[in-house]
Amino acid sequence: MGFLDNSGDIILDAVLTDTGRKRLARGDGSFNVAKFALGDEEVNYGLYNKSHSSGSAYYDLEILQTPVLEAFTNNTSTMKSKLITISRTNLLYLPVIKLNEDKGVAAGKRYSAYNMHVVAVDLDTINALGSNTDGVINGYSTESNVTNIYFDQGLDTSDLTSTLSIDPDLKETQYIVQMDHRLGMIASPRVMADFGVVGGNIANFSFLDDDNIATYYFTMGSGGNNSGFISDIIASDNSNDSSIAGRRGTRLGLTIKASDNLENSTFLFDQIGLSSNLTIGSNNYQAIDTVIRVMGATTGYSIEVPIRYLKKV
Amino acid sequence: MATTYKSLSTNDIVTTKTLLHEAIPITGTIVSGTYVSGTTERNIKNYTHGMFQSVYDYPYLSSSANHIFDIAVGFHATSSLSGTSVNHVQVSKKINMYNQMAQVLMGYDESGSVRRFDEDGDLTGGTKMNEVVFLNFARLLTKDEIKKGSFQLDLGTSASFDQSNGVFAERIRLADTNAQNDYRVNSPAGDYAVLYADSTAGTNLTTDDGTQKAGLLFYQAGIAVVTASVFLDAADGGILSNSAGTCEMNAGAEAITDLFVSGAISASCDALRQRLYNVQFNNTTELNSTVYFCRAHHNEFNYSTNPTYLSSSKLVVKNNASDTPVSYITTVGLYSADNELLAVAKMSEPLKKDPSNELTLRVRLDY
Repeated sequence: MGFLDNSGDIILDAVLTDTGRKRLARGDGSFNVAKFALGDEEVNYGLYNKSHSSGSAYYDLEILQTPVLEAFTNNTSTMKSKLITISRTNLLYLPVIKLNEDKGVAAGKRYSAYNMHVVAVDLDTINALGSNTDGVINGYSTESNVTNIYFDQGLDTSDLTSTLSIDPDLKETQYIVQMDHRLGMIASPRVMADFGVVGGNIANFSFLDDDNIATYYFTMGSGGNNSGFISDIIASDNSNDSSIAGRRGTRLGLTIKASDNLENSTFLFDQIGLSSNLTIGSNNYQAIDTVIRVMGATTGYSIEVPIRYLKKV
Repeated sequence: MATTYKSLSTNDIVTTKTLLHEAIPITGTIVSGTYVSGTTERNIKNYTHGMFQSVYDYPYLSSSANHIFDIAVGFHATSSLSGTSVNHVQVSKKINMYNQMAQVLMGYDESGSVRRFDEDGDLTGGTKMNEVVFLNFARLLTKDEIKKGSFQLDLGTSASFDQSNGVFAERIRLADTNAQNDYRVNSPAGDYAVLYADSTAGTNLTTDDGTQKAGLLFYQAGIAVVTASVFLDAADGGILSNSAGTCEMNAGAEAITDLFVSGAISASCDALRQRLYNVQFNNTTELNSTVYFCRAHHNEFNYSTNPTYLSSSKLVVKNNASDTPVSYITTVGLYSADNELLAVAKMSEPLKKDPSNELTLRVRLDY
């Protein structure tokens, strides 16, 4: 009888991320590993071949041959997609988060010329672009802003009726938003309420990492500056109520306040902005392209939305 | 409830300490002869203060060069080599060097006087080493410490001076034999052991059975202190046999005692390098590790948030709801309580996870 091959012992050498090193150097006890998550960002599940002629043992043959990259030490560049734990094994559908421009919401559209939301960073820019223009966020004054960015969460399939709500264990009640804090801050959406326009409050971020990426937590029903961002999407058979085709969960709305640096200086536009100015109408603008990342805290699903900051030259 | 993070309990975290060893060979040709340009040895650095000499593994003006060790010589103020005549060169510097090294490595006695280097480490008496050579190895080589019992220093002891390697026809080896079981702890600089001399080419020693004391090796400090008597015969007060004879250390046929008196420190260092045949030891790095046992139970981590996992919200790995979900692990992320990613570990290949298996991934973080 032969010996069993025990060479497959799984021992992994970990590397500290830049944030981990920073916390370790701080020496204040903030370096404390409390939990773990598993990721699969290199895997393309499109390679899973459920109809392989040789049988089920070959379904994931190509996935198992996927080469895996060495670890990134930048904390924001890795663990982009995580594995999730759901005790039920009979799920056929999982919720997604989708940008919602005009389904049951007002003033959520992107700026059509660039297919993304643009943020006017100062008064000159918002006056030139027009504060009521679709897709233009008034980053100079959130009180005067009318444009928001909306994300709808749910099962985006017409196989399932939209007249029922999503299962409670798949419903997002907390969202994590990450953005470059040098460029702007998250503010609550400006919306009409019975007693007038509300929102526009700048949210508090939870922490700022060494790359100036701010992380915000928004929890449904919470108070303070981080309230008013999440609402339920009403289950209905009206396809115009949500960008989600099937069962609906929650909606995250937010807007962006440009940073003082962008408002008062061209330094960041010169350093990380586009190499040539953009022309809109008769005006030229300096521009910085970035993304904001929205992740559901429950299901871990994430979406990255491009944002362009504009400053009139 | 769907979750992406799993908390680690105290039973999932363990700390370990591992000692890593590397073999460090330094051949004599690196130290003397390889990088000679005219009369200049380009990997040897002398300083205007003249207190010691630095040896590099490559011409030191190159950014590729690594400092490997320093050489210095010194003698105690009571040494017979000490004096004030015009023939005595750099006497105060040699005494200062001895005292500096002695106060760091041997410390002070009860009266506050610097202890001299002792032949066997018994500080209550015995033979003192008054004229010594210091080999200070760089931290780059010794790391946390030299491994006990691994040190060997081979010296050429042929009597006549011959720059075409004739000095290596007869050799002795200084080694910290059995030091892993026999070392001293009465130094302020950490552990040390006695270096014993033995012949490796020829029969050169009066006591040629590997018990001849010839110096001290300080492990954590990474310093070898070698008595100058390794180059002297018994008639001159050394450990070499009279038949082997006292070594001529330079073209002027000077004995090391003469060189210590009339030569600069750098001249003594040059002479010693030309007698250095080989050095080798193992270094030690103390590696403290924390191992995190990341346990994925059968009903955990079977789904993914990978964008390719869904097509119109439907799992691409399933045809029917009754099919078992499957996911593939490539990365383990270690997080703080506030969800900041602190460390990352990667698999060598994707690892399948489904409800029929459980995995324990041992993630090791070294400090």
